Amino acid sequence: MNIYLALILLLPLLGGLCNALLGRLLPRRVGVIVACGVIWGAFACAVLAFVGFTGPVRVELGSWLAAFSFQAPIALYLDQLSLGLTLMITFVCGLIHLYSVGYMQDDPAWARYFALLNIFVFAMLTLVLAENLPLLYLGWEGVGFCSYALIGFWYTEEKNATAGRKAFITTRIGDTAFGIAIVWMYQLSGSVSITHLNSMGALIPAAVVTTLGLLLLAGAAGKSAQLPLSVWLPDAMAGPTPVSAQIHAATMVTAGVYLLARMFPLIGSSETVRAAIALTGGITAFYAATCACCQRDLKRILAYSTISQIGYMVLGVGVGALPGATFHLLTHAFFKALLFLGAGCVITALHHQQDIFRMGGLRTKLAAVYWPFLAGALCLAGFPLTGGFFSKDAILGGVAAQGGALYGGLLLLGLFTALLTSFYTFRMVFVVFHGEQEHSLSPGPLPQIMTLTLVPLALLGLCGGLLNLPAYLGYEGVLDGFLGSIPGFGGVEQASHADEIALQIVAATLSLAGLGLAWSRYTGSRRADALAREATGPSGAGFLLNGWYLDNLYWALVINPFNHLARFLWKRWDEAGIDGTLDGLARLTARLGGLPAAWSTGRVATSLFGLASGVAIILVYLVWVTLS
Amino acid sequence: MIVPLEHILILAGLLFFLGMGGMLAWRANLIMMLVCIEVMLNAVMLVFVGGSARWGTADGQLFAIFIMALTSAEVSLALAMVVYLHRRRKTIDTDRFSEMKG
Repeated sequence: MNIYLALILLLPLLGGLCNALLGRLLPRRVGVIVACGVIWGAFACAVLAFVGFTGPVRVELGSWLAAFSFQAPIALYLDQLSLGLTLMITFVCGLIHLYSVGYMQDDPAWARYFALLNIFVFAMLTLVLAENLPLLYLGWEGVGFCSYALIGFWYTEEKNATAGRKAFITTRIGDTAFGIAIVWMYQLSGSVSITHLNSMGALIPAAVVTTLGLLLLAGAAGKSAQLPLSVWLPDAMAGPTPVSAQIHAATMVTAGVYLLARMFPLIGSSETVRAAIALTGGITAFYAATCACCQRDLKRILAYSTISQIGYMVLGVGVGALPGATFHLLTHAFFKALLFLGAGCVITALHHQQDIFRMGGLRTKLAAVYWPFLAGALCLAGFPLTGGFFSKDAILGGVAAQGGALYGGLLLLGLFTALLTSFYTFRMVFVVFHGEQEHSLSPGPLPQIMTLTLVPLALLGLCGGLLNLPAYLGYEGVLDGFLGSIPGFGGVEQASHADEIALQIVAATLSLAGLGLAWSRYTGSRRADALAREATGPSGAGFLLNGWYLDNLYWALVINPFNHLARFLWKRWDEAGIDGTLDGLARLTARLGGLPAAWSTGRVATSLFGLASGVAIILVYLVWVTLS
Repeated sequence: MIVPLEHILILAGLLFFLGMGGMLAWRANLIMMLVCIEVMLNAVMLVFVGGSARWGTADGQLFAIFIMALTSAEVSLALAMVVYLHRRRKTIDTDRFSEMKG
């Protein structure tokens, strides 16, 4: 077990280092094989670890930080949650690496790309497998750095570099809160071990637990693009599409959900924290779904849908439906990676066209992309019996089981969001793939590896429901049983079977309603009308198109005042104040020095007068001394 | 001692300040400045001699002879320089020489 765990981490790290250090010397084929091989090697190790898994294990690989009583060794903790996530991460990232081989085939900077991609996988696995919070934070920052470097991968364009910086700075706000929480937890309990902290819940005062929970929520909101820190994710689409699939849809952005689920035994004891988490998730899900309805950039639609789906997961964590949230995390990773990779195929085939209103009628021309993409869309929309349907329902069931006005409202919000989700998903599918192609864009050829990688993801997305079938079918879900023994995951309040069936019928109806709505609007005779109206921008669309003007709000509230303050400190304080004072002093000294310099005229007379006046002064002094 | 020391000192002081005033006022002529310096030096010699007479020692007179020797050397040098300056610049107005300006 130890060797598998060590290899899971070391292989991606070695691959990344190899490409980073030797990438320029190696032929492209070798570098690419190394990059993909290490990820699949890590996946194989994860499978072997899964086969040999008997119960949670803690493995200490070495010492890292040790000072007095502070101990943060390189210790890994493999339980059902981290094992499941490790399998998912290595598998999805492996496929995305393969896809990248096709996607980046013309890019000269492939070594940098694959090195960052590998190091990202290493950091993500560190995050998931870490046994203590400092190590988790290391992975947390590592994925943040790789995300920054890959969003701005084509950094020669100002726009991309800015998007990278924006992502880095926005997540840094949440990371700061998380960092404070780690230090505080150490101060309270004298330990940073996650298992130890989780067992300390009862000993820490309730108010402190609440504050800690809110700090962790802020950290998670930054990484997982939840309100109010969600603004970076839509801009993060500036990176290459496989990066969007791997980092900004499937793995990294779910790190916040993982953190909250991991620390749930500690923070879940506070009612306020749970309500705050649930509210954040619910409102974010709704917010992003409304924004996605009006976007016209294919990748931005998917970005907003990611924010929305992660909102669902956070909502699930908030109501304590941790298996449901994890289930949705896994299925979402499959179908969202699939959708992004499909979108990447479309964009590549159309020569980097991302505007959906300039696409259309690709169903027959890109059939190899259409069918997997449709499968992903069905999952995202929660179409009955797909993986997304069951996982979303598990979360909504958890919300329904809570009862009360707050959770009742959140349930309604969640159901309405499901309707919106179905609508915008099929709007995207119908606008891109159906109808007639109105523009002269003809799809170019696609590397076969790009379309082939879509197939396993599509199968996993569609059949993901088998992982965790609802309890009313007569047996316990596989995932529920698997995860049930982790602290915090067991004993989830279940809605009664009748309620659950009713909820699923409602959810299915909503999904079909959204599909119908999109079908009637974007296919057939009314398509041209709808497209023309949306292309000119109907009233109110700007509000949704710009994400409720959240960016503008931050400009007005934070960035502009900060700029003004910085300008004031620069111009008025530093240049006029400090520099001005020093310059003034220097000028004064120079002028004072100029006074005696006026006497050195070089004439004998001046010296003589000086001599005479000196004598006069001495005499006057002597007279004064004598007389007084 | 017929003449009291105070009188000698008053006379010497008058001579000294006359010389000094003359030197400051007559800058236009280097030779007159040298003459005024001679007057000042003589005032000093007078003090020496007076002091020597007052206390009955020979030191003061010795100094007076020294000063005489020194002045003769100084004047011969200074006059040589005056001749040299006059040759160079056709003037002996001290205000015209300000090359030593710092």
